[in-house]
Amino acid sequence: MGGWDRVRPSRSTARLGGNSSMNERVQSSRTIRLGRVTPQAPGHRTIFCNDREANSPVRFMGNSISTTKYNFFTFLPKGLFEQFRRVANLYFLTISILSATKISPVSPITNVVPLSLVLFVSLVKEAFEDWKRFQNDMAVNNNLIDVLQDQRWEPIPWKKLQVGDIVRVKQDGFFPADLLFLAGTNPDGVCYTETANLDGETNLKIRKAVERTWDYLTPEKASEFKGEVQCEQPNNSLYTFTGNLILQKQTLPLTPNQIMLRGCSLRNTEYIVGAVIFTGHETKVMMNAMNVPSKRSTFERKLDKLILTLFGVLFTMCLIGAIGSGVFIDRKYYYLALTKSVDDQFNPDNRFLVALLTMFTLITLYSSIIPISLYVSIEMVKFIQSTQFINKDLHMYHTETNTPALARTSNLNEELGQVEYIFSDKTGTLTRNLMEFFKCSIGGEVYGTGVTEIEKGIAQRNGLKVEERNSDNAMHEKGFNFDDARLMRGAWRNEPNPDVCKEFFRCLAICHTVLPEGQESPEKITYQAASPDEAALVTAAKNFGFFFYRRTPTMIYVRESHIEKIGKIQDVSYEILNVLEFNSTRKRQSVVCRYPDGRLVLYCKGADSVIFERLADVSDDLKKVTREHLEQFGSSGLRTLCLAYRDLHPDMYENWNEKFVQAKSSLRDREKKLDEVSELIEKDLILIGCTAIEDKLQEGVPACIETLSRAGIKIWVLTGDKMETAINIAYACNLINNGMKQFMVSSETDAIRAVEDRGDQVEIARFIKEHVKKELKKCLEEAQHHLQTLSGPKLALVIDGKCLMYALDPSLRVMLLNLSLNCTSVVCCRVSPLQKAQVTSLVKKGGQKITLSIGDGANDVSMIQAAHIGIGISGMEGMQAVMASDFAIAQFRFLTDLLLVHGRWSYLRLCKVVTYFFYKNLTFTLTQFWFTFQTGFSGQRFYDDWFQSLYNVIFTALPVIIVGLFDKDVSATLSKKYPQLYREGIRNVFFKWRVVAIWAFFSIYQSLIFYHFVTTSSKSAKNSSGKMFGLWDVSTMAFTCVVVTVNLRLLLMCNSITRWHYISVGGSILAWFVFIFIYSGIMTPMDRQENVYFTIYVLMSTFYFYIAILLVPIVALLGDFVYQGIQRWFFPYDYQIIQEIHRHEIDNTSQTDFLEIGNHLTEAEARRYALSQLPQERSKHTGFAFDSPGYESFFAAQLGIYAPQKAWDVARRASMRSRPKIPLKK
Amino acid sequence: MSTNTASSSSAAAGSADASAPRRNSKRPKYSRFTQQELPACKPILTPKWVISAFLLVSVVFIPIGVASLFASRDVVEIVDRYETDCIPVANRTDKVKYIQSSGNNICNRTLTVPKRMKHPIYVYYQLDNFYQNHRRYVKSRSDAQLKSNSSAGDVSSCKPEDMANGQPIVPCGLIAWSLFNDTYNFSRNNQGLTVNKKGISWKSDRENKFGKDVYPTNFQKGTLQGGAILNSSIPLSEQEDLIVWMRTAALPTFRKLYGKIEVDLQANDIIQVVLENNYNTYSFNGKKKLVLSTTSWLGGKNDFLGIAYLTVGGLCFVLALTFTVVYLVKPRRLGDPSYLSWNRNPGGR
Repeated sequence: MGGWDRVRPSRSTARLGGNSSMNERVQSSRTIRLGRVTPQAPGHRTIFCNDREANSPVRFMGNSISTTKYNFFTFLPKGLFEQFRRVANLYFLTISILSATKISPVSPITNVVPLSLVLFVSLVKEAFEDWKRFQNDMAVNNNLIDVLQDQRWEPIPWKKLQVGDIVRVKQDGFFPADLLFLAGTNPDGVCYTETANLDGETNLKIRKAVERTWDYLTPEKASEFKGEVQCEQPNNSLYTFTGNLILQKQTLPLTPNQIMLRGCSLRNTEYIVGAVIFTGHETKVMMNAMNVPSKRSTFERKLDKLILTLFGVLFTMCLIGAIGSGVFIDRKYYYLALTKSVDDQFNPDNRFLVALLTMFTLITLYSSIIPISLYVSIEMVKFIQSTQFINKDLHMYHTETNTPALARTSNLNEELGQVEYIFSDKTGTLTRNLMEFFKCSIGGEVYGTGVTEIEKGIAQRNGLKVEERNSDNAMHEKGFNFDDARLMRGAWRNEPNPDVCKEFFRCLAICHTVLPEGQESPEKITYQAASPDEAALVTAAKNFGFFFYRRTPTMIYVRESHIEKIGKIQDVSYEILNVLEFNSTRKRQSVVCRYPDGRLVLYCKGADSVIFERLADVSDDLKKVTREHLEQFGSSGLRTLCLAYRDLHPDMYENWNEKFVQAKSSLRDREKKLDEVSELIEKDLILIGCTAIEDKLQEGVPACIETLSRAGIKIWVLTGDKMETAINIAYACNLINNGMKQFMVSSETDAIRAVEDRGDQVEIARFIKEHVKKELKKCLEEAQHHLQTLSGPKLALVIDGKCLMYALDPSLRVMLLNLSLNCTSVVCCRVSPLQKAQVTSLVKKGGQKITLSIGDGANDVSMIQAAHIGIGISGMEGMQAVMASDFAIAQFRFLTDLLLVHGRWSYLRLCKVVTYFFYKNLTFTLTQFWFTFQTGFSGQRFYDDWFQSLYNVIFTALPVIIVGLFDKDVSATLSKKYPQLYREGIRNVFFKWRVVAIWAFFSIYQSLIFYHFVTTSSKSAKNSSGKMFGLWDVSTMAFTCVVVTVNLRLLLMCNSITRWHYISVGGSILAWFVFIFIYSGIMTPMDRQENVYFTIYVLMSTFYFYIAILLVPIVALLGDFVYQGIQRWFFPYDYQIIQEIHRHEIDNTSQTDFLEIGNHLTEAEARRYALSQLPQERSKHTGFAFDSPGYESFFAAQLGIYAPQKAWDVARRASMRSRPKIPLKK
Repeated sequence: MSTNTASSSSAAAGSADASAPRRNSKRPKYSRFTQQELPACKPILTPKWVISAFLLVSVVFIPIGVASLFASRDVVEIVDRYETDCIPVANRTDKVKYIQSSGNNICNRTLTVPKRMKHPIYVYYQLDNFYQNHRRYVKSRSDAQLKSNSSAGDVSSCKPEDMANGQPIVPCGLIAWSLFNDTYNFSRNNQGLTVNKKGISWKSDRENKFGKDVYPTNFQKGTLQGGAILNSSIPLSEQEDLIVWMRTAALPTFRKLYGKIEVDLQANDIIQVVLENNYNTYSFNGKKKLVLSTTSWLGGKNDFLGIAYLTVGGLCFVLALTFTVVYLVKPRRLGDPSYLSWNRNPGGR
């Protein structure tokens, strides 16, 4: 198990604060790296509150922030430095410097012009982005905040705020700096803050001021406040704070509970007064602001290899040329005047030196082989792809939540086209995380007549028609989807056991940690709950006539209807004596309350397993019936909770309470002691019944998964839920079906339990590892057996977190990988966030596959960052996953569009862009290379400097970008109709070395054609005037051929040709002619050799020109044409067949299928459904409803107990699950 | 190729779909660009198109090829290689020494006209293995100096032939220095044939690159004479031999125009050439050839273009036939789903 326990998810990093209306850059992140929290600076700071002069000697940092990368003066140097960190740019800088020396055959123009153009474009982009950042900063800095000055609240901009100032923050306002909470309008010194900007959680956090400062609320009073704060130095740990407030010679300890962090906002409190402690960049949020490590796509890494290869080719070419020059140089060529004092470069006496210098000469000459504008073009293409196409795709716009798709990075567009493995979270991603009270069982009677989607699915597969029943009684609101008249509007009074019903409803209304918000009327109230399950339960109670409307730290107020008789309403207050909090070991939650009449009751709700253990030994019948109901609910995919109560005797309670208070105040092992004490009272419970909550599937999930798996993508579900729930969802989503061979690796076996009960950690570890190893081996053997048979069943693997922990051990990892890569779907349940990331990395690194993680919650962040592509579900509550993601979509089903349409197109387009760049530069440079052989290897340039420098940036730049934007092999509709097309991307068909080699072959062919056809045909006199061409006439001719051909070649590789293609291709060719007409037509005063003067006019005055310009491009393109003809006809790509099938269809837009998410059954699917009708083993299981982050801390805060607020409680809990249980003493 | 253009109805449908846009809606606006629905033509390279394209090329190319080849064949060309023959047998062991020793290098050559040659007949000299495109050579000139008298001293690029006796050389540089200096005198039946040396250079060079007020000065006054000596009383713009020479050739084998004979030559005419063999190509084993040639509309004798056109045209025809045959032998229905990879090997992972 080794290093497992040492690895903990590191702290969250959060966004900087600010006005939510501003679209600020939000930086977040959580990586699975360790040690983000930087060591604290030694010492402490002393702040004199409300006394600017006393603080002034210390020179605290101001409150203005700047997130810009550059300022006016550093922009050029810093920006250039950033640019030259790119190898390609640095290379061209070197070449430019080289070409300014004497050994260069070309003037610096050749390389300086394209380089500066590329740099210019990049710098403009940088400047633009920085300017936007600057404007955001300014907006933030100029927000107004009330500061205490001369006993009055004066609004001043945030940036003027200083450490020690007393500020007033109003409701819904943002904290301008890290504040010490002094006083609030709430009577008990409490205020609520929302930390959505920090960690994405929308539930409220409670802050409580030190009691001594509660009075400093009015400006008059506050101005008397002269406290001295001694606290730690600024640091980036969000959840810790140590300090003391020295007030009137009294030292009061400060905890994070009194600190309000910049970026959070105030809720449910009219206003608060606070003292500024940390400002500007020293606030915890800003200290955490760190860039998300940017991901590079695998495509780009392959591209780097290609560039390296090009460097290799360049070197080889130069070497050949250099050797040639050393051999060639000789005094016999007297016209070169090598006899006199000659430079080293041509000195025949030192041939080695000649070769060496020629090497450099040739490097500058052939520099164009490295496509300088490639990176900048790719960036532009990707930028437009993501901002214009992905972000604005109407297919990925979710109307209900008003959320379009968002590409947060433009680096990974093409990676989307090559995804082979999807790791998906369950809750909130596959399911809606929209918990609805659906059914219940009270006193052995089932209530609720709804049919779940999963049941519908099963029925459908069994060939039954499910009719939609819409009864008038159906109540539907958020969290409540219950249809049974027997319980509504007080009708429960007529049921067989109304008293049990009453207990049931009271339990729902009292036993929870929900916070009501808004007006105290049933219609207007909203419930703030740590988990949607709880909110659903309270909402249910409300609908049954037990309306929970107010809560104070000690009381719960419930408006009860129909108790005495139908229609009567009475407000009842229950005193909450103890809350026994929920945690993952306890799996239950209890509340001890006192009725107004003094009755003492303990209400308990929790997982069936734990409740059933603790029931009093009566009512066996009820137990049996309820258990049946639980199983029934579970198999319909519902999450269940059992409710129970116990009447307490006051003496017994007092007795217990002492122990409880003791445990609560103990400093060591508090949690463990609390658990033990709770155990003492949570026994002899009386079962009331159970609730069933539906965790609804997201819209279109099964269809989407079906499509994706046909696209060759394997989908893994990684969830914290228990195995049965996970399997159930997997069934519902079509991930697993009965036609599949399922492998289960579970730690829930009797043997393991027996070992665990003995409690020897080492023994447990050894035993489970052995077990896992055995299981894996068995499965692997079986899998191999199945794989050998040709049409064997598909395989599925289900593994739980504990087993996974051992399976991920280096010694078993390979086996796990082998097994899981052969499975079509894998379900990992009860996994911690860290394990999610580990599984992802396992496939990413071990399997060398392209992975995508999708999730919506904070617990998915590590997985999202570990995968090649991270996708966050947006539009729901909680931004943490989105902050960490690369793309954000509103619905799981949008993956179809994102991957099959955008991803595939981006991949195809970038493959084309890159191969084309490669081709055009290689072709161009090779013509130059062939010329070298006939110039005595002297490194004479074939082309004019300007030809060469503008080749990349003008004459061939635009069309390839157009292809990168518009090329479309098949329409979006067809892409989705034939998901199999996506497999071409997974296999990386279009950017293999083979493809590059074919392009290279045709490059060589074409360059030979250009060079030899042009030179050979120009050996004789031209025109009837008998005059001869010179070097520059020939080179202009050759260059014209190159430009024309290279541009036409582009059209040849297009799948769809829009008007923009014609314009850009035509425009590029035209640009060349316009350029050469002007350039060769004028004598410039600049110091240059009049090489090309009038060449184009001379050329165009001959017939030869027109005959050659017709011949050469056609001959050059003939090779490609033949190749494409043969390839298409005999070895067609899939997309080509699809094109042919649909060749006559008008590419009418996908508007028709816009809202359609239906599942079209193919024959194979139909067959599979038929198969699924065969009797299947159905797991008898029950779902368990508690699963939400931040629960414990929320609960603790509720009680005013300080508990370190860990946003990642869920992470902790999940890892606790995998920790062996500590045997409890009763 | 089948051309499908998107129907324009799509645009309308898009806007109709937008249900009463809310004020705060983040719904992206419909545009053909962002929805990637720009009308496009989608060419499919079907066999029909491939074969048609080949046929089209061959139909266009073969006539052009025939025409070019005829033009080239019409040209009458006499080539006489003389560098070895013009050295007395006794001196052939050390040709370089012979050529460098100033003396009487007159050489008589006899040419027979194979076919009637219509005037103008162009006289060329052809050098071989002469790297006029060598980097050191190409840049050794001063365009500024050639163009105007005022920049006579602009010789920085001309090294090592920039200065002689402390004075700038006009025209400077290796190119001018190594000016070709063999001369040819033609006679037929002992009657002299005038060689017109006017108008042998490109007009643009003559008028714009070489100044009317620039006269050769200090030329070939260095230690070693590289080539011809220029008449210092004639401005450079009229020194057409120099202008032709200085339009450097692209390849190490090149022809340059020497002059024009403005009379017709009849078949079997015997032309006497009195040749002054001055130019040293012997150091680097370069060939020297004298060429007399007529021209066609396309230019001098060069079969390359014609052959290339014919070959490509023919090849395309053959390819068209081959493709037709192959398609007939191994046909594939257009859009045959059985060619889809997932249908070819079902169950393949």
